[in-house]
Amino acid sequence: MKQTQSSIRDVLYEAPGPKARKRIAVITVLSLLALAALAVAVIRRFAQTGQLDARYWSIFTRYTTWRFLGYGLTGTMTAALTAGVITFFAGLLLMMGRISSCKVLRVLCTVLIEFSRGVPTLLFIYFFLLVVPQFGIRLPALWKVALPVAISACGVVAEVLRSGVNAVPKGQTEAALSLGMQRRSAFFKIIFPQALRYVIPALISELVIVLKDTTFAYIVNYSDLMQNARVLISNYDALLSVYLVTAVIYILINYALNKISVAVARRTQ
Amino acid sequence: MNAARQIFKPCRLFPTGRAFCFLSGPAKGDNHMDISALLTQYGDKYLQALLTTWKLTVFSFSLAFLIGIAITVIRVCPIRPLQLFGDFYIQIFRNIPGAALLILLVYALPYLNIVLSYYTCVLIATSLIPSAFCSEYLMAGMNTIAPGQIEAARALGMSFSKIMKNIVIPQALRSSVLSLTNLLVATMLTTALASQVPMNPMDLTGLVSHINTRAVGGVTAFLISAVLYCTTAVIIGQIGTRIDRKVRILR
Repeated sequence: MKQTQSSIRDVLYEAPGPKARKRIAVITVLSLLALAALAVAVIRRFAQTGQLDARYWSIFTRYTTWRFLGYGLTGTMTAALTAGVITFFAGLLLMMGRISSCKVLRVLCTVLIEFSRGVPTLLFIYFFLLVVPQFGIRLPALWKVALPVAISACGVVAEVLRSGVNAVPKGQTEAALSLGMQRRSAFFKIIFPQALRYVIPALISELVIVLKDTTFAYIVNYSDLMQNARVLISNYDALLSVYLVTAVIYILINYALNKISVAVARRTQ
Repeated sequence: MNAARQIFKPCRLFPTGRAFCFLSGPAKGDNHMDISALLTQYGDKYLQALLTTWKLTVFSFSLAFLIGIAITVIRVCPIRPLQLFGDFYIQIFRNIPGAALLILLVYALPYLNIVLSYYTCVLIATSLIPSAFCSEYLMAGMNTIAPGQIEAARALGMSFSKIMKNIVIPQALRSSVLSLTNLLVATMLTTALASQVPMNPMDLTGLVSHINTRAVGGVTAFLISAVLYCTTAVIIGQIGTRIDRKVRILR
């Protein structure tokens, strides 16, 4: 991906002549100045409103702050991984229903997949927060986050897995069947392992979405990174700095996951 | 001014101030409202909420599309600092969780003396995040163009703007129809963020939590919203597939 990306960037222009090179140099300097001005404006705004005060930022030199955020991060990871595992298996079941030979099952799974893909995560979270207790079911906070997040992601995962299965040549199933393999073992021993390899990058990207969705944990009072950030804020009275750092942590984690996904995609190609 | 949006003000974004009392309350199956009661009492609110969600989706998507195109232009222009800025922008808004961005806009910006209305905050959050994905899809669409085509066009003496206008942009748009359709659906799902701030009129998600914290709407209240969302998504998907079939480039 990255290679083709740089190639389209390069190929769009021919090698610049002396005039164009001069123009590019001038615009480069101008744009650098503009970006620097933007940065200065932001920092000045921080300084003017007193947000650069040491008391807002010195808390990040303390070990306890990071340990507390680390606990939150563990909570986020637990929720994301729990949801991720549920999503994978639910998606697998939906996908198998979607491609099964039984028509009723196929239609049912198609409807479920569309439902899961077309309804926002927040609505599922409110369902688990507000409606499920009305039936006398009390779930721990972790499940109140993990289940709705998983439900809203499993439709996409089912479709991703299906695209992987479709990418495996049909001849392989036919060969396996003609060798006398059962349909089920042909699927699980031959088709699915290959399909999984095709879609691992897409599955990692979906994990990013799951992780982003777990930020809604504050709605159900599950202590994830965001929730612990809130506690820090009320302890130190430093809203802007703490939220900014929290957002950066989220961005870095998701950035790393995306990088892994790209690297895996390049290796499997 | 900061006092106006104190963090522990019991707003839906931070429901600490309010105990969800029905958890222990007598809400059991028999006083659930059925669908006709719900529709007579809340029917027009549902309609309003649906329109709000649609309106927010269209506004956000249009903004996201415009910003996405601008960022894409910046990312392919030959000015290195601008390219890097574009990549930076993409990485920020691809990876930030929607809730985190909304919280920053609503609660952190007032500390910089920038106070935006709740509606503006939601609109900004729900257009900046899709704009990053929009640019990614457009880049992916551009990458489907074989470099040989551009070389050939240049060999024929076409200028840069002509190459862009006649070769790159049409093909990039045509091959990203499906991903842009998915983006429109994703934008609609992102607008559920509007339920996290006080909005008037409410969106579909906000309405469900509104109904359920007052009356016992139960599964039905949730299902009506879900079906409305889902139908919209399916319709968008159908239209997208149809357009894609018409304009797809067969290779």
